Formats: sequence, C-alpha cells, structure tokens
Amino acid sequence: MSSKWENIQKRSFLESEARTRALGLVDPGTFTELAGPRHRISSPHLPLLGEAVEFDDGIVTGVGLIGKKPVFVASQEGRFIGGAVGEVHGAKLANIVRMARKAYDEMLASNPDLPEEKRPAVIISFDTGGVRLHEANAGLLAHAEVMDQFQDCKGKVPIIALIGSRVGCFGGMGFVAAASDVIIMSQFGRLGLTGPEVIEEEMGKDEFDASDRALVYRTTGGRHKYIMGDCNVLVADSIAAFRGALQEVLGKLYAEIAEMSCIGSLEKIQYQLKLVDLCVETAPKDAKDVWKSAGNENPDDLTDMPLDEFLTTVKRLTDRY
Amino acid sequence: MSKQLHEITFELKAQNPTDFVEDFAHFGVVGSGDMEVIIEQKNLDGAVKVKIVTPVTGYDEVWRRVLERFVNDTGVANASLEINDNNATPVVVSLRLRQALSEVD
Repeated sequence: MSSKWENIQKRSFLESEARTRALGLVDPGTFTELAGPRHRISSPHLPLLGEAVEFDDGIVTGVGLIGKKPVFVASQEGRFIGGAVGEVHGAKLANIVRMARKAYDEMLASNPDLPEEKRPAVIISFDTGGVRLHEANAGLLAHAEVMDQFQDCKGKVPIIALIGSRVGCFGGMGFVAAASDVIIMSQFGRLGLTGPEVIEEEMGKDEFDASDRALVYRTTGGRHKYIMGDCNVLVADSIAAFRGALQEVLGKLYAEIAEMSCIGSLEKIQYQLKLVDLCVETAPKDAKDVWKSAGNENPDDLTDMPLDEFLTTVKRLTDRY
Repeated sequence: MSKQLHEITFELKAQNPTDFVEDFAHFGVVGSGDMEVIIEQKNLDGAVKVKIVTPVTGYDEVWRRVLERFVNDTGVANASLEINDNNATPVVVSLRLRQALSEVD
C-alpha cells in the first residue's frame, strides 16, 4: 500500500486517473472512497441514449487525511465523456462538499475550541468540460447545487481547486472553480469558461484557432492564469508537487485562505474592475499584451522558460493592481 | 426507435480453476475505446459469471471468446466479472482484464 502510494507521488498529475490523484493527494493509506464503483451508481440517463456508462459516473469522491486535517476529496475523470457533469456525477460532487460542511458543524458543535489544523477542508481535482449535454438539465442543476454548497462553506470550510488534468476546467465548472478559495494549477492546467473548440466553432478560426496549442495555452493555461491572478499557486506537473502546495495552503488559517479567493469582498471586485479598465485602455490582441501590461518587458520569453525561472522572473497583475 | 445500451451475460468455467482470493477489485476507465471491470468473489460452484454493458452490438461471440480465453489462461473461478465498455477492441479487453487481475495480486 505504502510503496504504491510512493509510486503515485512521482507520477505526472496530467497523466493520472481521477482515482490515482485522489489516493495520492491525501496521506498514505487514509483515503476511503464513498459512493465508489462498488456501489455501482451509474447514470440512469446514458443507457437510454445508448451511451456507455461508468460505475462511478466519472468522479471519485471520498475522505482522507492531510496531517491532522480531514479532507473531503472529489476528483473528476476527464476520460469518461470529458469529465462532464451529469446527474449522479453532480450529486456526488455537491454531496461531498455538503458532507464537509456538516462535519465542520458537528465537530465545532461538540468542540468549539477545535484547533484549525483539525478542521475539515474540501479538495476538488477538476478534469471537466462542464455540463454533460446528454443530461443537461440535471447537469446544470448540479452546478447550481455545488455553488450553493460552496456558499454554505463560507466562513467555515476552505475549498481548494486543483487544475492540471487533460481536459482542464471549462464550462460551468470554470465558474465553480472560480468560486473556490484557492486555485492550484500546473502549467498544463487550463481554466476558462468557453472552451477553445467551442469558441472556434461559434466564432470561426480567425477569432480563435483551437488547433494552435501555443495560443490555447497562453490564453487558458496555468502560466497565463498565474499572471492574471486567477490561479494562486503554480506548481510542477507531479502529484507530489500538487500535494506539497496543498499541504502548504491547508497549513494556513482559514482567514488567510479565504483572503486568497478571487471573489467575496468589495476590494476583490474593485481589483477585477481594474482589470476590465486595463483591458479597455490597452485593447490587448493577445495574452502576451496583457503580460506586458503586468510589467513583463519580454513576454515572449515567458512561454518557454523552465518553471522555476518563470516563477522567479514573472510579474503578475496582482502585484501591479 | 430508442437506442439502448446492449447487455451481454453468460457463464464460463475455467479448465484449470485456481483459487481467487480477493473479494473485490476494480480497474480501468470507460474512455473512448476503453473499458472498466469489477471482479468480485462469488460462490458459483467454480463458474465465472460475466456481464458486459456496451453500446456496440453484433460482437457477442467475440466477447465470449475473449473472456473464455482469459478465464482459461488465468484459471479465474468463483467470480463475477462486470464490464462497462465503450468500444474497446479485443486486444484492449484482454489487456485490461489481465491488469485488473494483477491489481488483485
């Protein structure tokens, strides 16, 4: 068990399945899967459409420990229908967040002096394009339910988003990730609302060429999101690196974690509005124009430099505004 | 004219059955051209019960042969195999079944 866990640590986060990520992010031997394959809760809608089903409906949910902290984990599987959120998938996600908040309420009710290091947290490893169109109404409703649960967690349970898997985090789930407290990404992680292919489909190749990987990554990828301030922590592509960043964030007090969120206060909204102003003033044609506005004299160098060098040289919009 | 998922069930018996000790194992992801399987210990008088759920029709005999070979090569007995498939080829099916079994060991 332990050697299996050690092996997982070295693995690429990008290449790892949902279950591997869930196992590797928490302390060795502490992960217990809830509503897993054993329970066979697959989509009731897909069979009617003749579409393949999965025993876990494309999401792994469970509980584990990071240090003394109980963590409630959700990990999406992008290889199953692009990690899309259907009824069961969404219910599992909403309920793992609900469980974390209920655990918090019960723990604090029985012990109001419970140290912060023992209070629950939520971890979500995103790998999704958003709503599963085959069961769109249920999927959309699930998004709303997850957002509801996030709101109930405010002031109580920190929610940490991890983005570094193949599909990235797009569609409605892009909103959900943005509503979390902290976003940890690798440079291969991608975060956005409308995915590259959809933009091309709707607006044409001249507007956005989804086959241009460099363009896609400098518009939606981890490095860009780090410069923009949408991503709080940028890490290397390994399970160990994500876990390390997670441990560091969870080591902070709740108030400090909540302060890292993109939303939730007047100051944060004012920061976002400043970025809108900046956009109007400079009319950027490319992500690199924005990087320049952030104070990066040679934005071209930023795409290819090694991650360590990038992190020490890069100037972020959050530093400037 | 609703299109439904295709369900195939049958029973097999290994020629040289061995004891299969793990009570439950799950392996695989239902990606495109891929599949997942649950192997579960069941008292079936030495038999192996197979259930396959797949969008593909017309390959029931191929499934049976691939599973027959797996059961005979490995000696799996007293087990139920549940497969969710999404257009996996026979080669992929054989590979995933063997991987699932090695997870158990």
